[in-house]
Amino acid sequence: MSVELNPLQNAVVDRPLAGRVFLEGPAGAGKTTAAVQRLLRLLKAGVPGGAILVLAPQRTLAAPYELALRRSRLRAGGLPSIQTAGGLARRMVELFWPLAAGPAGFADPDRPPTFLTLETAQYHMARLVRPRLEEGAFESVVIDRNRLYSQILDNLNKAALVGFPHQEIGRRLADAWAGEPAQLRVYSDAQQCADLFRAHCLAHNLLDFSLQVEVFWRHLWPQPLCREHLLQSYRHLIVDNVEEDTPFAHDLLRDWLPQAESALLLYDQDAGYRQFLGADPASGYALRQLCDETVALGESLVTPPELQSLSSHLARALDQPASRPAAEVSPQAVRATLRFEEDLRFYPQMLDWTARQIADLLEEGESPGEIVVLAPFLSDALRYSLMERLARLDVPARSHRPSRALRDEPAARALLTLVTLAHAQWRLLPSRFDVAYSLMQAVEELDLVRGQLLAQIVYRPREGVPQLSSWERINPEMRQRISYVLGGRYDALRLWLGDSLRKGEQPLDHFLSRLFGEILSQRGYGFHDDLDAARVAATLVESVQKFRQGMASFGAAPTGFDTAPTGFDTAQTPTQPTDVSLSPWERAGVRELPSLGREYIAMVEDGVLAAQYVGAWQTPKEDAVLLAPAYTFLMMNRPVNYQFWLDIGSRGWFERLYQPLTHPYVLSRQWNGQRAWGDADEHAASQERLWRLAAGLLRRCRKGIFLGLSELGEQGFEQRGPLLWALNQVLRQLADDV
Amino acid sequence: MPLPPDFHFSQGSLQDFVDCPRRFQLRYLDGIAWPAVQAEPILENERHMQQGELFHLLAQQYLVGVPVARLTAMAQGDPDLAAWWQAFLASAPAELPGQRFPEVTLSAPLGVSGERRLVAKFDLVILATDGRAVIFDWKSSRHRPPRRWLAGRLQTRVYPWLLLHAGLDLNAGQPLAVDRIEMIYWFAGFPDRPERFAYSGSQAAEDGGYLNALVEQIALLADGEGVWPLTPDETHCRYCVYRSLCERGVEAGRLDEADYRDFEPEVEVDLDFEQIAEVEY
Repeated sequence: MSVELNPLQNAVVDRPLAGRVFLEGPAGAGKTTAAVQRLLRLLKAGVPGGAILVLAPQRTLAAPYELALRRSRLRAGGLPSIQTAGGLARRMVELFWPLAAGPAGFADPDRPPTFLTLETAQYHMARLVRPRLEEGAFESVVIDRNRLYSQILDNLNKAALVGFPHQEIGRRLADAWAGEPAQLRVYSDAQQCADLFRAHCLAHNLLDFSLQVEVFWRHLWPQPLCREHLLQSYRHLIVDNVEEDTPFAHDLLRDWLPQAESALLLYDQDAGYRQFLGADPASGYALRQLCDETVALGESLVTPPELQSLSSHLARALDQPASRPAAEVSPQAVRATLRFEEDLRFYPQMLDWTARQIADLLEEGESPGEIVVLAPFLSDALRYSLMERLARLDVPARSHRPSRALRDEPAARALLTLVTLAHAQWRLLPSRFDVAYSLMQAVEELDLVRGQLLAQIVYRPREGVPQLSSWERINPEMRQRISYVLGGRYDALRLWLGDSLRKGEQPLDHFLSRLFGEILSQRGYGFHDDLDAARVAATLVESVQKFRQGMASFGAAPTGFDTAPTGFDTAQTPTQPTDVSLSPWERAGVRELPSLGREYIAMVEDGVLAAQYVGAWQTPKEDAVLLAPAYTFLMMNRPVNYQFWLDIGSRGWFERLYQPLTHPYVLSRQWNGQRAWGDADEHAASQERLWRLAAGLLRRCRKGIFLGLSELGEQGFEQRGPLLWALNQVLRQLADDV
Repeated sequence: MPLPPDFHFSQGSLQDFVDCPRRFQLRYLDGIAWPAVQAEPILENERHMQQGELFHLLAQQYLVGVPVARLTAMAQGDPDLAAWWQAFLASAPAELPGQRFPEVTLSAPLGVSGERRLVAKFDLVILATDGRAVIFDWKSSRHRPPRRWLAGRLQTRVYPWLLLHAGLDLNAGQPLAVDRIEMIYWFAGFPDRPERFAYSGSQAAEDGGYLNALVEQIALLADGEGVWPLTPDETHCRYCVYRSLCERGVEAGRLDEADYRDFEPEVEVDLDFEQIAEVEY
């Protein structure tokens, strides 16, 4: 792989093998390109691959390293490790668990840990928080319950990543609060729930992300065995996007850097987009002092002077420090980088305009992969509307994620309906339409009309129990309409479901695997030739399996809590999580001990499980227009020729997400806790965030920006957000300069 | 679909190709997820796989220096695991003086012009003070396979060959002597009957030729269109999740009728680059 580098980049790549370098510069200056070449040079020079650790804040940011290692003709030897600080912590906790479990306070240190996924952590949180909700906790908060659970988890994560005791979450939030006193109760509830969750995890050897970090940092890193293992294993460090990482990662590096034989740290100026995830550019920048040398790559290899100048104008409009563009540019040239249509009143008109402009660009010879469409948040409605418009114009387009959650995928819905039909004892009654839809998915060639007809006849719930009647009992005329071939398939499916029930309840993931393998993927059934549906089924099976295996730490049998008592008081407060005379759920105050399968289904209906967007089943079309939220695009860290900024009048570009249970600034290491967080703080933070976002986007753009603008927004209200205001300022200034 | 330039071969993928080219195509080239049952009873299969993973973890923990007493306490929760662990301690298979490399990943170019890549993760490599380079592979299979069966497995050819070619990273940049390489399969259920395979220059040449021919054959098939050949030995299909896709059966085969293989999860986790866990909220 031959890459042309400028002299400064070459100097970084060709440095002596030993030593620590801090490489800073704006996005697009070629830092990662240089670091990738440095990595290859280390390998070429004979550094064992296994001795190199590439650390990145998230997977997408490590993609250039993975690609280079896979595509380069490397010599034979070990392979560098590419990880996140969180991933490293998890691996170390797994390896050195016997040393940490006791000191960290886990109730059963001789039993292996269970690592929670986001999904299973939310499940446990939901089970713990629900009784509190019934008691009136979070009364004044009006948000989706799942967001409530995830914000409590978020608080725990912040405590671990920033490095303060989780018991201080509520106090820190309350100390900074200057509004209505009712909010203080919310913070107190959030603290109680965080405490409950932590006690629950310690009692049952469960490790959510926050505990993985804490156990590693407090109980393993100080131990010579673990520390030496890491220091000896990885003697060469390459750390990209230091500014997007957390204080935990920075503290780890602070200890590690003096011991490393070589290190290359990359820092993006004016970035730090992951602050809401705990990123701390300031603590990252402080690592510079531990390096032998700082190299600055100042010149962008991506952004032309016109866009750099636009960036400077925007900085001034937003009261931010502006850097000087590389070259003098005329106001007309800067103005020419912006394209928009002024007279659009309605939101759909803006979408039509966007789609048309993209089609025109392609007609002019632009490659679809060089165009992105960005919005502060990408709602399903927006995604659908735009994708449909682009499809009509034959524009290849892709989204950063599928448009549906796993549970909303037709294949998953069909499988879950069949599950409820097979488990009549659960007394869950799917709607007739769901049954028809699931039969249509399951039986090849059965269309919706005949599926509905079939469901109308055979689906007969009795006394709250779902039942399917036999094909033989349908009158001949109807059988003819549906067709005997399809009827035969239906009956085989029905008999299989009935048989499986007679064999007794089995773990839900096993049931699904058998249903898929023995019936639905056989010839004549809907999954046989539908690879996407198979992939959805695989993801669903995996989700159920992880759920079941996670529950094993509760002593749950694969099918459920067969031996546990049922029907105890919801009001029981889990104040003594280590009381072994109570079952785990009793200690948590949970009222029923359900079958695991039924519990999974109930949690799917509640939106706790199978709610994640799993992209694996969508084949990415590389050369396609990308639709993504602006921050997601930034974290892909790749430049494009054209960007469309949709709905620039929206305040979403400026305001942070409504998070009543948490606060990314107050729970950061940079907040001194001496006063309340006021409106002026919020405004200044928002202004700075908007500037960083806009500058980050401009630095990833080669040719021009299309501004999507309509008088009325998606909800029909007039739009006058700060981005629109700032761009208006810039346009006026450019006109004056002319 | 031509073989992607960044495709990495492993002993597992090559074994799949040898067992059934179509399985290789479906699993590695097309990446088709097919969540059917691999072997029945599923729970027993799953339990056995988990026990195998836990045993591997215990061995690794032991090799990085976690105190034995703590590990013994950890093993007590499962009688099978406890017995394997006691056998491991009693027979001390890895007590060879030298430098130890547990769970080490190595890779080397492969193919006639070296444009392909072979990757493997070793349970343990010891560069012994007496000059030997010994590969250990822990097996937790129910039955102890005969030597002939093991000799025919791709693992027995891939591991020593790869250590010979990529082992210099473990040996301060110095190549390893081919006739000092040895591969030992150690069976947790049969601790006194390890199987040893000595390596030699002629074996290395033969393995190199065989592996190169294999990847060329795969590349050639990948350049063409259509469905790759299905295995003529349909007993493989009984333990293959794609049996319904290939219309070669309905129910999975029974564990007690399987050969000596250790069933593994469908996704070969460690042969890809380390999964990066994202901060999740």
